[in-house]
Amino acid sequence: MGKKTIDWERLGSIIEERKKEKWGLIPLLQEVQEEFGYIPPEGIKPIAEALGLYPSQVQGVITFYAGFALEPKGKYVIRVCRGTACHVKGGRSIFRYLKRELGLEEGQTSEDYRFTLETVACLGACFLAPTMMINRTYYGKLSPPKVSSVLAQYGKERMEDK
Amino acid sequence: MEDITLKIDGVNVTCPPGTSILDAAKAVGIKIPSLCSHPELTPIGACRLCLVEEASSGRVFASCVTPVAPEMVIVTDSDRVQRHRRNIVRLMMAEHPESCLVCSKGNRCELREIAAELGVGENKLYPMPNVKNFEQVNPFIVRDLAKCVLCGRCIRVDHELVVVGAIDYNLRGFECRPATLHDLPLEDSSCTFCGSCVSVCPTGALSTKTPEFVGTPEKESISICGFCGTGCSLMMGSVGEHVVEVNPSRISGSVNGATLCVRGHYGHDYLHSKVRLGSPLLRTGEEWKEITWDDALELAATKLREIKENYGPASLAFLGSSKCTNEENYLFQKMARVVLGTNNIDSGGYINGRLAVQAVWKRLGNTLFRKPLSTIGEADAILVLGADPTQSTPVAGYYIKRAAKNGLPLIEINPRKTGLSFLSSVRLEIKPNGDLAALAAILKYLVEKGWVDQGFISQSTSGFEPFSAKLLALDFGLLYKNAGIDARGIKQVCDLIKGKRISIVVGSGVLRQRIAVSIMNSIVDLALITGSMGERGGIYILAKDCNEMGAWDMGSAPDFLPGTVPVFDAQGRRRFERLWKAKLSPDPGLDVVRIIEEADKGRLKGLYIMGENPLRSLPDKELIKKGFEKLEFLIVQDILENETTQMAHLILPGAAAAEKEGSFTNMEGKIQSFEPVVAPPSGAMPDWDILDRLMALLGQPRRLGSISRIRREISQVVPGYGSLADGIGGWAGTGEVRGSVGPEAETIRIPFSEEILIGARPEDGSYPMWVVLGTSSFQMGCGTRIAKSRRITEYCPEGFAEVSVQDCDRLGLKHGDKIIIESKAGSVMKSVRVSTDQPEGVIFLPWGFDDNNATLLLGLAQFGGPNFEGWNSCRANIHKA
Repeated sequence: MGKKTIDWERLGSIIEERKKEKWGLIPLLQEVQEEFGYIPPEGIKPIAEALGLYPSQVQGVITFYAGFALEPKGKYVIRVCRGTACHVKGGRSIFRYLKRELGLEEGQTSEDYRFTLETVACLGACFLAPTMMINRTYYGKLSPPKVSSVLAQYGKERMEDK
Repeated sequence: MEDITLKIDGVNVTCPPGTSILDAAKAVGIKIPSLCSHPELTPIGACRLCLVEEASSGRVFASCVTPVAPEMVIVTDSDRVQRHRRNIVRLMMAEHPESCLVCSKGNRCELREIAAELGVGENKLYPMPNVKNFEQVNPFIVRDLAKCVLCGRCIRVDHELVVVGAIDYNLRGFECRPATLHDLPLEDSSCTFCGSCVSVCPTGALSTKTPEFVGTPEKESISICGFCGTGCSLMMGSVGEHVVEVNPSRISGSVNGATLCVRGHYGHDYLHSKVRLGSPLLRTGEEWKEITWDDALELAATKLREIKENYGPASLAFLGSSKCTNEENYLFQKMARVVLGTNNIDSGGYINGRLAVQAVWKRLGNTLFRKPLSTIGEADAILVLGADPTQSTPVAGYYIKRAAKNGLPLIEINPRKTGLSFLSSVRLEIKPNGDLAALAAILKYLVEKGWVDQGFISQSTSGFEPFSAKLLALDFGLLYKNAGIDARGIKQVCDLIKGKRISIVVGSGVLRQRIAVSIMNSIVDLALITGSMGERGGIYILAKDCNEMGAWDMGSAPDFLPGTVPVFDAQGRRRFERLWKAKLSPDPGLDVVRIIEEADKGRLKGLYIMGENPLRSLPDKELIKKGFEKLEFLIVQDILENETTQMAHLILPGAAAAEKEGSFTNMEGKIQSFEPVVAPPSGAMPDWDILDRLMALLGQPRRLGSISRIRREISQVVPGYGSLADGIGGWAGTGEVRGSVGPEAETIRIPFSEEILIGARPEDGSYPMWVVLGTSSFQMGCGTRIAKSRRITEYCPEGFAEVSVQDCDRLGLKHGDKIIIESKAGSVMKSVRVSTDQPEGVIFLPWGFDDNNATLLLGLAQFGGPNFEGWNSCRANIHKA
């Protein structure tokens, strides 16, 4: 899997659907983000044109919110908690371990677009510290072996995909 | 709603609801510090420095975004407020680089000013400069975003006033900065380099790039821009006699407000070009010799007198300038008419379509229909024909874009896309020169549907019945064919303008056309049937030169006297004869083209050119050269060495607008006077002074000697210019309300056109393509001045031809390839810019570049005459070079 190709048709239909809404920009971007895993930079101009905004304005909204990305993210976005409770319970080593296992730095995406490694300020699951989240699934009371087995689950799925 | 009364710092203030506390305080002279607020921009409360305290509740809020409320008691400088302000400034300074010593903003930095006022020196915080890229590749704007305080003024100027949208906030927190799309350098973005952002930036984050470090201006003086006809008010900063910086002036009521365009902002460095003329020069053979002013003027007077005596007054001609002041044009035509007895006087406005503009005057009166640009948005819709104001007269274009952005329907009739198109509701992509047929189709459709303003027609017009009968007899099919459009487009336009009053904006794409006069008449007809006259709607003519209108008002034309009184009008002429104590000829003189033809025939012996460069601005340079060579004496008065001064016998060095006193009349009909900012180059003289001295030598009883005396004479002699006497200027007109043609002016009945032309013409198969000539914002007119601007030529050194994607594919052309464009008159080579702005078969070629060689494609013929092909377009053929 190399550089992602953009499904212009799908993008066009999302724009078409949302452009009539008042204040439609953020719902539109959310849908694109959900659908593509990111907002293709090439899509900024058509989005702006449809909504009667300047492309620079659309970019400003995208880069303001952490929920929007201009670069493709991996199929699985791993968010490691940096909150106080997780920190006390060794969250830093968990993060370090993940970096080594995946060969990624913070914010990076693997070349095969499978994993993206991010940190967040708090996942709000302090009772499970140290925690991480992969897409919408929580993993708590982590230890290096547990992290390995979780990753293996996602790794296995990769094998199945193939 | 009732006004609100509140107390600010113990002073009772009454203001309308919705006023911000900041504005209310300002109204009573209480100053509240602020970095992000700007009188012309929407308040956003970004900087928080304008905090004030409400005494009863103790609440603190940003005064720029808090509306006044009844019974409020506001304290603007309580200890608490002061403490907050100081902390904000301390934090800003901790983030700010300590480079004030070399910052070009110097003592004009608003952050520094506020810090000083609040007594913040050492901020006692750990310095953490927010290092950002330093961008200074383009020759106009230096971006040092480490100094940005995120006030957002640049962004709001760009979005709200200039309506380009090149920048907006990007990222957030410490990373946040104004950025272009994809954070590219300005030159790779949609930035037009108007520099309006630079002028409003409170710190040194955005500054003007100067070729060498010149320091901050020692002195700032107000002037008027000498480029296009918008007439922007400038604040020119100078060091010694050197203009180092130009910004919009901050005087209220100026046409441009906080904005400018790239020419006005950055093009004035031509003033210090190496080819400025600094001494009178006399040519003998190929040799140029510097001579004294006394000798030069004596020689000029002797030659002019000799030629008049030997060959008669008709052997002399005068070419005045739409770039020179009202005072100078007045003296110049008076010299021609009164001192030397000839109506052979014209000005550069001829090629910008004087006869087309005159056609409108004939029906609506000269000054009455001119209205301020600010009224464009007061109509119910805007129709733009043959113009890309975003390039030709950018500040006028901002008015249209702002109105359209605020929801006013915008209709464009143009063969190609323009800088307005992204905002237009309907765009009629006509064939080049299809305007007349398109207008006829619109008129016919409106009349057929009965979508006409009956009240206005019956009250203020005449001849509607025969006019509509002729319209109804036209065939839609033929009109659509001639215009290159279909029924759907006309329906869309008419649905949109049904029952509306329209602002009709006309540019040189129409004014320079072969059938410009007929088109202008159709435009007047359209204004009449829609009732677009008087308070809402009207015709707005985009003048290309700074004093095109003024030069005409002063009588720089062969067939009318000052105040545009026709020379054949016996009564009007007698008034001038009485005032000037001279006999005036009732016969129209020679226009620019006839002057050249007569010179070529050997019948013209002497020519005096002031501030025009026909060898660059007009087609058929060979004929002009041949004609000029036959002249016994050619006097050229100019500021720069140019193509025409090369041919002169005597060169008189004049002064540029920034170097002399005078006044310009802009496209709105606003007379704006100005004072010198710097002195002319040593040895040069203000043009009015040259003319005044020369006229005395030619036998005028006495010299006027000063601008104020000339103005006094103009105010007495020229109808509509009474306001010039006090030296301030005003609106050209005779005291009537602006734009008062309309139902309220009951005595005036405007006739409809007696014939309707539809502009049919057989097409020449050997030249399958169309070349559309137009303006680029990086050029001005024929480019005599702007091509001497270092910044502009560095950025845009050579011309180009925009070719449609389809034509490029067909001919195997890519960006940067050289092509040869051939027309019946000649050929030019240009490099290709692949463009999606025009349809197949249309090439766009901007004026001015490469010695204005675009004129090689055109022929020289009298405007509107049988051989006239128009100066806006031509048929052509292209092939790869």
